This record gives sequence, structure tokens and C-alpha cells, in this order.
Amino acid sequence: MEKFAVEMRNITKIFGHLKANDAVDFKLRENSINGLLGENGAGKTTLMNVLYGLYRQEEGEIYIHGQKTDIVSPLKAISSGIGMVHQHFMLARPLTVVENIMLGRKSSRGIFLDTRKVAAEIRELSDRYHLMVDPYARIWQLSVGQQQRVEILTTIYQGANILILDEPTAVLTPQEAETLFSILRQMRDDGKSMILITHKLEEILSVVDDVTILRDGKMISSFKVTPATTKEELSRLMVGRDVLFDFNPAAVKPGKERLGMKDLRVKNDKGLPAVNNFSLSVSEGEIVGLAGVDGNGQKELAEALTGLRPAEGGKIFINGIEAENKPPVFFIHQGVAHIPEDRQNMGLAMGFCVSKNLIIKRFCQQPYAKNGVMNYKNIKNHAQKMIQDFQIKTNTTEDITRDLSGGNQQKVILARELADEPSVLIANQPTRGLDVGATEYVRSRLLEARSKGAAILLISADIEEIIQLSDRIAVIYNGELMGILPKGSQPETIGLLMMGKRQGENTGVKENQ
Amino acid sequence: MDNIFTATFFVSIFASTIRLATPILLTALGEIYTQRSGILNLGLEGTMTMSAMAGFVCAYFSKNLFIGFLGGIIVGMICSAFMAFLSITVRANQVIAGTALTILGIGFSSFIYRIIFGIQKLPPQVESLTKFDIPLLSSIPYIGTIFFQHNLIVYLAYILAVFSWIVLEKTTFGLNVKAVGEHPRAADSKGINVSKVRYTAVIIGGAFAGLSGAFMSIAYMNSFSDTMIAGRGFIAVAVVVFARWNPLRAMVGSLLFGIASALQIRFQAIGVPIPNQFLLMLPYLVTIIALITVSKKAEFPSAYTKPYSRMER
Amino acid sequence: MVSGALLTGAILIIISGNDPIAAYAALLEGAFSNSYRISETFVKAIPLMLMALGVSIAFKNQIWNIGAGGQFTIGTILSVIVCLYFKLPPIPTIILSFIFAFIGGALWGGLAGWLKARFNANEVITTLMLDYIATYLLAYLVYGPMMDPNGFGYPQSAVIEKVLRLPKLIVGGRLHTGIFVAIAILFLMLLFWRSTLGFKIELAGQGNDVSRYAGIDNKKIIVITMLLSGGLSGIAGWNEIHGIHFRLMTDLAGSYGSIAIVIALLGNLNPLGIAISAYFFSVLIVGGNTMQNLTGIPYSLVDIIQGLIVVFVITRTAFRTESIQTFFRKRRYQHNG
Repeated sequence: MEKFAVEMRNITKIFGHLKANDAVDFKLRENSINGLLGENGAGKTTLMNVLYGLYRQEEGEIYIHGQKTDIVSPLKAISSGIGMVHQHFMLARPLTVVENIMLGRKSSRGIFLDTRKVAAEIRELSDRYHLMVDPYARIWQLSVGQQQRVEILTTIYQGANILILDEPTAVLTPQEAETLFSILRQMRDDGKSMILITHKLEEILSVVDDVTILRDGKMISSFKVTPATTKEELSRLMVGRDVLFDFNPAAVKPGKERLGMKDLRVKNDKGLPAVNNFSLSVSEGEIVGLAGVDGNGQKELAEALTGLRPAEGGKIFINGIEAENKPPVFFIHQGVAHIPEDRQNMGLAMGFCVSKNLIIKRFCQQPYAKNGVMNYKNIKNHAQKMIQDFQIKTNTTEDITRDLSGGNQQKVILARELADEPSVLIANQPTRGLDVGATEYVRSRLLEARSKGAAILLISADIEEIIQLSDRIAVIYNGELMGILPKGSQPETIGLLMMGKRQGENTGVKENQ
Repeated sequence: MDNIFTATFFVSIFASTIRLATPILLTALGEIYTQRSGILNLGLEGTMTMSAMAGFVCAYFSKNLFIGFLGGIIVGMICSAFMAFLSITVRANQVIAGTALTILGIGFSSFIYRIIFGIQKLPPQVESLTKFDIPLLSSIPYIGTIFFQHNLIVYLAYILAVFSWIVLEKTTFGLNVKAVGEHPRAADSKGINVSKVRYTAVIIGGAFAGLSGAFMSIAYMNSFSDTMIAGRGFIAVAVVVFARWNPLRAMVGSLLFGIASALQIRFQAIGVPIPNQFLLMLPYLVTIIALITVSKKAEFPSAYTKPYSRMER
Repeated sequence: MVSGALLTGAILIIISGNDPIAAYAALLEGAFSNSYRISETFVKAIPLMLMALGVSIAFKNQIWNIGAGGQFTIGTILSVIVCLYFKLPPIPTIILSFIFAFIGGALWGGLAGWLKARFNANEVITTLMLDYIATYLLAYLVYGPMMDPNGFGYPQSAVIEKVLRLPKLIVGGRLHTGIFVAIAILFLMLLFWRSTLGFKIELAGQGNDVSRYAGIDNKKIIVITMLLSGGLSGIAGWNEIHGIHFRLMTDLAGSYGSIAIVIALLGNLNPLGIAISAYFFSVLIVGGNTMQNLTGIPYSLVDIIQGLIVVFVITRTAFRTESIQTFFRKRRYQHNG
């Protein structure tokens, strides 16, 4: 009889009207890695949150190592041997590694913290699993990869033999991901069982033993992964239809430069250099994809290119005009559109209705206002047209933006930024967090803007997106331009640049960290 | 005028400073716990007023000052529990909730005081809290008078400052408070009950404010009026920011306020030719200036005034 | 929700050993039983409405202007200074006094706004500290340099000349033509929220990131917001001097500052809502005095009702932004250790 580390039977979890999990069955074999696959909103994270005790299921039972267990809280999950490595790290930045790991556990010194003891234990574990973490470092001092290792260390320290990893490679380069996978394989061989939440098909094929596919809250299929398993098969199960993998954009002849950067230097919020001697040019009618792992200066670059951040040195050219350090209104008037990474805090005024959000950049101009007085009738008409053109799902133009789904919120931003046929478009992670349908839509509109002559800088951590849409591919690492690759480049090549290997260096060898 | 800057003058100024700083320090210490956990409690002015009234009433009728302080502390905890309810469970806007609580606290305290005492020609009074000279140390010339000839509550306040530092830095509870104020979701995922920690931190803040309010009516003025707190509840919040949420630095901030108050009283008594009202303005001006100097670089706890919900992504 | 507050008030009255029906009846009697009292309800509503309108501008930008009383006080001071010391014909004097009152209130509020924009100083504390400072400034003036030489040593200034006073509207009452100024400003506010500046302020209140992204200069807008907010309270002060008091006295602002906050919130930051709420509170205040005289229930009950109304309003708002369903489901399904 197969032994299961985890068995979840008939799990149902409801939020308001939404059945996030609908009678889901899930089984994790002992000493195996199970890939939990599905689009955004399929219910993967919800299911795992139930397993980890963050949510309580409406119906269904959970068995850990064959024992029926009622997981009422994370504390119970931890004591049952379950650990979770979250996608957004659960680390308090000003506190040290030890302090973060000590959180929630009973101290051996009663009410007083036993910091020194725990630090020694952490050092020992860190050495054993090659995780290399300094216990007294403060979290804000660590790199993203290091922080993830702290997360893993935390679960091991807590005694977990069942690990849940939520989209762990979202913040890693392909090479760092491979390193992570080898750590996971070693832990599996060491007796641990793991659940890998992912929407990346390559990961399923490369590292996972079994796969479980969720769609719209239901468990669709669950089987062993073999060499015969194909991406197409997985994606069909995941999405329920054949997904457009190839956009194949028509060749467009690029025109003159609309967006130029020369030796650009930008600092981050801590005053450290974030963008260094960056030079790049984007022409009319082309998409330049800027690939890079999160946190390598993309945010600062995008902000400098839209007037939201000062440049310490170098030049920016918009439509041939020098633009560095000019205020945001200048860029807006020049027709620079910006789809920001932070949709909810920067891209939208969540408390505003949809019609107002569609004109937040143009509210002083005709026909939305004249002589300082707003014309709400025109604003509403405009909104109605946008809702139709961009297929925004909302009841009325006056609906509050906060109530819209993520995909529709992004459509509001798209509508606002694309409707006026911008000359320059800076899109920063435009499809992050969106389901396949919305992602497809956004990408097709980007291509449409390209054919209308926009110069588009597409900043994305999604290599597949970069490959699909870009005419040229640039790579950013540590704020520097690593190289520019032509259309049709291989993911591995791009990944190497993302990891810091400059173009022209020895790119043939795969490196382990 | 030329005889004011004598040793006696300085000694009495510094001694007064320490005593006058006490109510600010007590309230600020409590608010440090509260703000560190991510909650901004602006209802302290109302809480202190309620506690001042409660403390006075308890002391007056029981003829026991200790019961008075206890009454003040309990009422302070109740008031701030209500603030905690509005901020944590109802997740209302904390600034407005605090302002509402201040309005309520002042109104309520006046209402109940009137019901109990009615209108009287001479305001009822409580006997004063006696000074407690620390043996030996209080006999040291100058230093003794400044530091060691105060009443018990004053000593308690400064001891509590050190105690609070130890709690926040060296105990599990302190770590939980800081974690909850920085990254509540992380704390939640480690099994910490975010609401419980926050409620506790806010109620601790109320206990401190309660002691402070009772101190004002019992030990400082020996009577009660609904305007007696005179903005100290808000000044304490400013001190918390000025102290960058560190109990030891809060002592410094409170002493600053204490000096401004002490100078005002002393100058008025001596007859320094500055109009009294300008001297009365001094503590409030000092507060603004102190706030300006720190606010630009202050690193507020990351979850400051943001209510926590497990559902939010 | 107002009813919730009144109900709680009734309970309190019962606890204190009195009859709530008699109490509220006395309150209504105090407000409406004769034409003088009715006119008083409008008299009191004028400064409350103006200050609440001012406070609402700040609140829309998420700036918590708690010290409107101080801005009001500065307005009164400058009005009287202009009237007593500027020897000009009556109409220019009244107009100049209006302008100076507006500017004075504006600068007092604008100072707090500037401190916030430049130094990130918490505006709750700065506006409140400035409120105390303004109150002491007023005390200094009326006990000192501006004390009425014919005033028998009372802390008050000389009165402004009869020609400078706003004419009364009814005989035997205090209602004056200042109410037309207040109504004019009410209409101006309705237009203001339809202007691009109003839109900017609302957008700024939605968050620093999105407003910067949209091209708004947040620091400038913070200062402008507080200038306007303080200025309206300054005008309220002008109105009270020229229409009611005609001289400076200690503590003219009373608790107008905090009542204005409650009115602004109850009125949902909307000019018409504010007008209605202001009148409602005026009724409470005018009636409350009579209630105290007739039934012995302390006037502070009115303060309590104010505080309760705010509590109910913010509870209702909090319920609105997350639907009630989610709230109750959370309570039921999230009881983990």
C-alpha cells in the first residue's frame, strides 16, 4: 500500500460567494515531490493555506502520515511536521535572522529569549544543508536568494518533514532555480516530502515526481510525471483549452528612436546605486524586452524613465528631448505611458470609480475639464467607450475600482495608458498575477500598440513573455546592462545573462552556486 | 533678575523637570508598546482624562490613594480596550477612532464627575501623595534633591522605562510585539495571534496612561477638571516618535517637555518679564520643534496604522 | 446610527437617575420653543458648518486637521485687529477684515501643512499644538495689549464699531446677514469639488504613489489643502466676530474644532451632508443648555453623543469597505487558536 505523507479528502473552502476549493482530493506520497499546478485563481495557494492552518476548510478531512489531523492553526501544522516557504517572504525586515526564526516558538529560557542558543543551532543546520546564512544578519541586508534560504532554514529548524513551497522560483534566475531543485532533491532523498506550487510547466517536467492539476477550484487530474508527459498535455489540463504559445508577431519596421538612455545612473531608496551606466534605445514600432530577476534595478529604472525618480547621472531622451529629472507631468505630456509594477498602490486610485481612474492623468485637459471645471458627462462617456473597447467586466462606470478583479483592474490601467496611442510605453511586469486569459489579452494589446507605432520597453521577469513579445532582448543584472540578444534567443542564454554572465564570456558551462 | 541663576534655582528646576516629565513619560511608555505593535492610539488624551477622574473618585471615596491609582489604571485599560476594539476588530480608521475616543473620554469624565459631585463652590480635593526620600541618596547635596526626593510614582515611571526596554528587547512577548508591528502576516504564519498581541499592547498602553492620568489628579493637582490633561496625551504621542519607539530615549523626550513646563512655572513665580501666556505656550512649541527634528527620518513600524486581515493578499 | 448614539445617550441618562424622555423633550424645547431659540439654532450652525467644510477639505486629502479651533481663533484675532486699528471706511474695513481672517486661518493651517510636507511631521499633533498656542495667544492679547481700557479689567478687547457689525435679520434674535456669506461659501464648496483643484485634492487623498504617478505635486497640494482648510475656519471666526461677539474674549473657539470634525464625518465629507449635520448639532448644542438648566443633566452629555456618533460613523464605514458578508464569514470560519 502506498504510504502518503499528506492526504486531503474532499476539501471545500468558500470565500463569500467564491468556492476557492471545491471537493478537492490531494495526495502526497512519502519521499516525493508533488507539483501543484494551476493558473492564478485555480485554488492552489488556498488549498495549501488550508493544509498549513491559515484557513479552515468548510468540508473535508486531512490525514498526515495516515493520522486524521484537524489543522486549526499554523501552530498545529508546524507541530504536525508541516512547514511552508511562502512566495512573499514572511520575514520582518528590521529583525535579525535568529529573531525571525525564533518567532512563535517557546523559548528555553521561559519569558526571556534564548537568542544565543538558537543562533548556534541555526549555524549547525545551515552548514549541514549548505544554506549559508549568518544568524545575526538583519533581513534587509540579505539578497532575495539568501532570504529564501532563511525561509527554508526556518521550516527545517521547526522540524518539518513535509514542506510546502509556494512559487519558489518566481524570484530566481534559471540557474538559481536549478540549485534550489538540487537542494530539494537532496531533502527528498533525506526523507522529506515536498509540495511545489507552481504555474511553470518546465518545473513540473524537470523536478517533480507527481503532478496534481487544479482548475477553477476543482481537482482535474493527478498522475505520475514520466518522460512522456508533455507541456501541451499539462497546459491543456490546466487551462481547459489549447493555449496560444506562439504569438508570432508580424515583422514591423522600427522607426526612429523614441526612448533613449545613455549612461543612466539611478539610486534606490537607501541611497545605493540601483542602475549603473545603463544605455539602451527603443525605436518606434518595436518592443524591447528587458529581462531580469526582481530587484535588479528595474523598479528604479522604470521610475526614472517616467519622472518618478531622479537620475544621478546620464541622460534620458523622450522623442529626442532630454528628459532626465523632469517631473512626471512632462512625461505625461510627451505621451509616455506607464503600466506600473505596483498596480494597486501606484497604477490605480482604488477608492475612485472606474470612470475617474481612466482619466487621472488627463483630468486637466479637454474634454474632461475646461477652464478648471470638470466635465463629468464627458468623463462618463469616455469610460463607457473604454469599458467596451477593452472588455472591462464591471457593472457600471461608477463602480469602485477596489471591487474589480485583478485582471479587470489591469484592464483599466491598460485602457487608460493605451487609449491615447502613446509614443512610448513602459510596461513593468504587466501580466504578473493575472490568469492565462487576462495574460493573453494584455500581451495581444501590447502587440497592437507596437503595430500602431509605440516604442515599448517591456520589463518582465517572465522569460517566456520576453521571448514571445520582444523584437530585441536586453538583460539587466545589478542595475547594469548585461547584453542585448536578438529575437529567437534561447531561454538558457537569457538566463545566464540574468545571472550576471556578460555577453561574450564563457557561456557554455552551467554553474552551481 | 540677576539672582535667578543660582544653584538653588537650577536644583529646583531640575527636580521639577523630573517630576513634571512623569505623566508624559508614563503615557509615552505605554504608547511605545502600542505603536510598536502597529497601532496608533490617539485617544490617550481622553483615556488620561477618564483615568484622572476615576482615580480621583476612587481615592476620594476610599480615602486610599493606592485604590485611586488602581482605579485609574483599570479605567485606562477599559478605555484603550475600546480603542483596540475599534482599531483591530472593526478595523476602522485609527486616527479618527482615537479622536472620537478623546472626545468621548473628556465628555464622559465630565458627565460622571458632575453626576457624582454636582456643582460645588470649592472643588473637592484629595490629600497629596507624600514624597518618599530615598535613604542616604537623598542627602547628597544638590543631586539628592534633584533625583531622590520624589514621590513613589515618579520613581516608578523611570523604573518602568528601563523595564520596558528589557521587555521589548529581551523577552518573547517583546519580540512578538515588534514582529506584529513589522510584518503581521509573518507573525501570523508562525502561529502568533496577531489580534491578541495587538490587544495586549494597546491595553498595556491604557494601563500606563491610566496610571499617568491618576497621577495627574491625585499627585499633581489634587483635584479634577476635564481640561486638566491639557494636551499631554498628544504630547506623549509626539514623544514616542521623537524617541523612535525606544523607552530609554522616551525618558529624554519627556524630560524636554518637563524642562519647558518647569521653566514656565518658575519664571512665572519669579516674575520674569515675559508674559505668562508665552511661557505657557512653551511646552507646545517645544513639542512641535522636537517632532520636526525627528519626523523626516523616522522609521515607523512597517504595519503602522494598517489593520491586519488574513484574507488580504 | 445617529439614533444609536441618541439611544446610548438615553441609557446614560437613565443610569444617572433621570428621565430620558424629559431630557430629550427639554432639549427640543430648548431649541424650538420660541423664535429666539429657533434663530439660535441657525446662529450656532454658521460657524460649525464653515469649520466643518474646512475640515472636510483636509480630510478628503487624508490630512487630519484636528486643530481647526486654533485656525478659527487666529481668524477672530485678525478680524478684530483690522476693525480696531485700520482706520478705513466701513465697507472696505469689513472686506479687509474678511480677507485677513481668511489669510490668518489659512497661514495657521498652512503652517501645519508645510511642516507635514517638508518634515513629515504628524499633522494631528502639529495642528493641535498650534491650537493651544493660538488659544494662549488670544489670552495674551485680551489680558494684555488689546484689553479694553473701558472694560473694567475683564479679559476682552474693545468692541468693533456699530457700522462694522453685520445687520441682524430678525428682531429680538441674533441671526445676522453672515448667514448669507455662509450659504455662499456652501455653494462655492459644491462647485469646488467639481473643479480640477478639487479633483487633485481628492486624488492626492487616494495615496501618495498613485497621485505622484498621475503627475500631482503632493507636497504642494498638501500645503494648498491646509491653506484652504484653515482659511475656512478663519472665515468662521470673521463671521462670529462681525455677527455675534463684536469683540475678542478668551476661548471664543470653545469646542468648535472637535465638533467640526464630527460634523464633517457625519456629513460624509459632502457639503450638503455637512450643512445638514451642522444644523443637527446646532440643535443639540442650543437645546443642550436648556436641558442642563431644566433637568440638571450635565451638558457634557452632548459631548458624549458627539463622540458616540463618530464611533458609529467609522464603524459603519469600516463595514462598508469590506462587505458585511466577508466580515461575518471571517468571524465564523477563522477561529484558529
